Amino acid sequence: MKKHLVELTVNGRPASMQVEPRQSLADALRGELGLTGTHLGCEHGVCGACTLIVDGDPVRGCLMLAVQAQGAEVVTVEGVSPKVGLGEIQSALREFHGLQCGFCTPGMVVVLHHLFSGNPQPTEAEIQEAISGQLCRCTGYQGIMNAAKAVAARHQSNNA
Amino acid sequence: MAIGKPVVRVEDERFLRGEGRFTADYTLPFMLEAHILRSPHAHARIGLVGLDEALALKGVHAIFTNVDLPEGLPPIQCRIPTHGDLSPYLQHPLARDTVRYVGEPIAVIVADTRAIAEDAAELIEIEFDPLPAITSPQQATADGAAPIHAPGNLAGRWGFDLGDVAGALKAAAFTASDSFSIQRHSAMPMETRGLLASYDAGRNLLDIYGPTKVVHTNRNMLAAMLGMGEAEIRMIEPDVGGSFGARGEFYPEDYLIPFASIRLKRPVRWIEDRVEHFAAINHSRDCTFDVNVCADKDGIITAFDVKLVTDMGSYIRTHGDVVPSHAAASFPGPYRVRNYRVDAMTVMTNKTPTGTYRAPGMFEANFARERILDRLADKMGIDRAELRSRNLIRPEQMPWHVGTESVKRPTIFDSGDFPLIMDRALQAYGWSAPFEREADGWKRGRGICVLVEPSGLGPFEGVRIEVDQHGKVQIFSGSSNQGQGHETVLAQIASETLTVPMDRIRVRHGDTGIITFGGGTYASRTAIMGGNAVHSASVGVREKALKAVAGKFGIAVEELDLREGAIWHGRKNEPLVTLGGIARMLMPGNQEILTSPSAGNIPDNDGLVVTSYVRGVPSGAAVFAVHMADVLVDPETGETKVERYFVACDVGRQLNPLIVEGQIVGGVVQGLGGAFLEELAYNEDGQLTTGTFADYLMPNVYDAPPITALVFEESPAPTNVLGVKGVGEVGPSGVGATIGNAIANALGAVSGLNKLPLTPERVLHSIGFGGQV
Repeated sequence: MKKHLVELTVNGRPASMQVEPRQSLADALRGELGLTGTHLGCEHGVCGACTLIVDGDPVRGCLMLAVQAQGAEVVTVEGVSPKVGLGEIQSALREFHGLQCGFCTPGMVVVLHHLFSGNPQPTEAEIQEAISGQLCRCTGYQGIMNAAKAVAARHQSNNA
Repeated sequence: MAIGKPVVRVEDERFLRGEGRFTADYTLPFMLEAHILRSPHAHARIGLVGLDEALALKGVHAIFTNVDLPEGLPPIQCRIPTHGDLSPYLQHPLARDTVRYVGEPIAVIVADTRAIAEDAAELIEIEFDPLPAITSPQQATADGAAPIHAPGNLAGRWGFDLGDVAGALKAAAFTASDSFSIQRHSAMPMETRGLLASYDAGRNLLDIYGPTKVVHTNRNMLAAMLGMGEAEIRMIEPDVGGSFGARGEFYPEDYLIPFASIRLKRPVRWIEDRVEHFAAINHSRDCTFDVNVCADKDGIITAFDVKLVTDMGSYIRTHGDVVPSHAAASFPGPYRVRNYRVDAMTVMTNKTPTGTYRAPGMFEANFARERILDRLADKMGIDRAELRSRNLIRPEQMPWHVGTESVKRPTIFDSGDFPLIMDRALQAYGWSAPFEREADGWKRGRGICVLVEPSGLGPFEGVRIEVDQHGKVQIFSGSSNQGQGHETVLAQIASETLTVPMDRIRVRHGDTGIITFGGGTYASRTAIMGGNAVHSASVGVREKALKAVAGKFGIAVEELDLREGAIWHGRKNEPLVTLGGIARMLMPGNQEILTSPSAGNIPDNDGLVVTSYVRGVPSGAAVFAVHMADVLVDPETGETKVERYFVACDVGRQLNPLIVEGQIVGGVVQGLGGAFLEELAYNEDGQLTTGTFADYLMPNVYDAPPITALVFEESPAPTNVLGVKGVGEVGPSGVGATIGNAIANALGAVSGLNKLPLTPERVLHSIGFGGQV
């Protein structure tokens, strides 16, 4: 099948990929750019493990075609991680045992990063809504919620 | 020092940064990709297979069907003892003349990419001669039902008959009886399965990335099927996105992908897609209990009489009949009931084969037993918790022999003060406190389930601990890890004994190339079996280090002390030598210690390395648990909402409270999936009608209530040095029962709520709305 050149920005750097028209953005990021932090849990848009930030919005990487990302700004879990160690949300997820097998974790990190970027002190309901499209089979969500609530509370007390 | 502390997990950082390496993240040069063509029919004879067009597609390297497999290749064997001979029901890696479930592998297509392989699958032409599908045990065992396999659809019938059940029933003051069914559902780990097999033809060596759970067992099974030496195959567990019992068993693909790599002399990778996963991975539960229970006038339970029918699906897989076996062996639960009869039937149908899923047999048995006990309590007019309390096995009766066995192991509860934990649980929850029975038109109910969960099963586990010249400690574990946190917990145990900080200890696991024998991870066993192996090996390292230093410095061992990762002499301010220094001393060929070349084997000069295998206790360690919940029910719509959920359990000793709580809370939510949402439903043609995440609903954040875990360390397991009991399965085990009981309590329902999942329709039906559900 004929391949197409897609030029885009990934994690703040220009990138180009040669992709078949049918290839998903998640597959292309993983296969062409080696960004394997984006995981594919269902490939039909339900589980949320592949969630990316595309032009500022959370997007299912398995439902968007790579060719649709021409010119887009894409952020993956690799892009929201500091050079070394863990960022604030990531640290909280570790502290509150908000992950077990770690497979859904990149998607969780990405949506929480997106939430906190626009809303540093989200309410419990806002956090729930943000992760409601992400399936986690291990934790029962309690650790994830506790982590996110702790980050929100820290922001609040820093502002007080 | 480290044991018992809520240490944050050492594995977390890589997952949080997206740097975990799962099977699909591995590639090799010249790697090909495989796709499995699966049966679209539940039951059909296979006629002519046309591959020409598919083989002609550019990028296709090979297509294998049954005729390409070695003649005389045996089916995939069962790895555990069964009740009777189930060998006629075993599955071959590829269908031979007949397909028996939707999803049965028929052909393996190997191509440059997965997409091309899937394109080729569309071009394969197969003539099917469809046969009627059998989709329930009732159909399968009806008069004149066509046999799915030659010996017939009733694969096994067995049971136990203890005491005098008939006499107890006759003398009973109170009885209750009903049928309870638990729907087919399964583990659904977030990562699908996958394998990358790489065959080195020149050396006849085979590396496989992707196996997990029981890698040594799987390797030995594969070696037997391929006619290779066991050590010529290396199975390597990458990061694994959950198992919960289902993932990591030896499936058809575990033969097919290595076979394809050998035949093509190229690395071959197969990554299962989710829809495929639904049809291919072991399903579980899917059984019905007919239960009779009776009690005397004082509320003492005098007998359980049970009929258990399990839908095994179309083939018997590696687990044999372990799921109904566990259910039958443990049905009486935490109660001192000596009259117990169970008549168990395992029945074949044209559905996906079954195996274990977290709390196998126990989630099911607990649902049936604890629901009927509520009925019994209501008939007696006594409090539902009171009935349970009166009948608990007493501490002085430990160890309690149930009198049954499962997979040739006697069912024994090793220890526990059940009444003590029960009292504390009831008090902590406020069981007896009055509560508002209504809120905004919704009815509130309270439910309870009391249970014993076996843990730590299996024959042995092993680890090797190596200390390097820099004092870094590597633990090579025979068990595996699918997200539970073993890299942390095992390191904690070594840290405690070796007095080495956690960041100097690494745990490697699930790799047949790093340790000769391994048991694996199942039945909540790694904390117990792997943990005690680490403890034993750590003690061995300490002793070896002390002995080496004593010899070198001419100081009695008793005057030496291991602390801060070094050996100290009495109260001296400086250590004599660090563990790294001792590792250097003990290297083979070290002239300081080496006596003469003629000594041959130099056992004391093989490094600061100790291998330890620990033997399992046949019946494992029993965890007592009490589940309670408050549930709101809308009597207009049947909608439900769990307000709070509570689990109290006695785990003997906690290695890491953070992880213990995480296992319980996560397990409860999985159980809630089974109680409310998840169902692998089939239509009359044997087609799976809930084969995507859009149809098969799993709990999301809105389905997770506040969950409290109250963990006790009252009764350390007497059968292992650390005193630990497994905690992986107490979470889900009691959820179906607790929720069923809470809804019944809310609605005052005296019948119904016997079938999981408890959908709004079934909830309404229990109070007289609607027809059959």
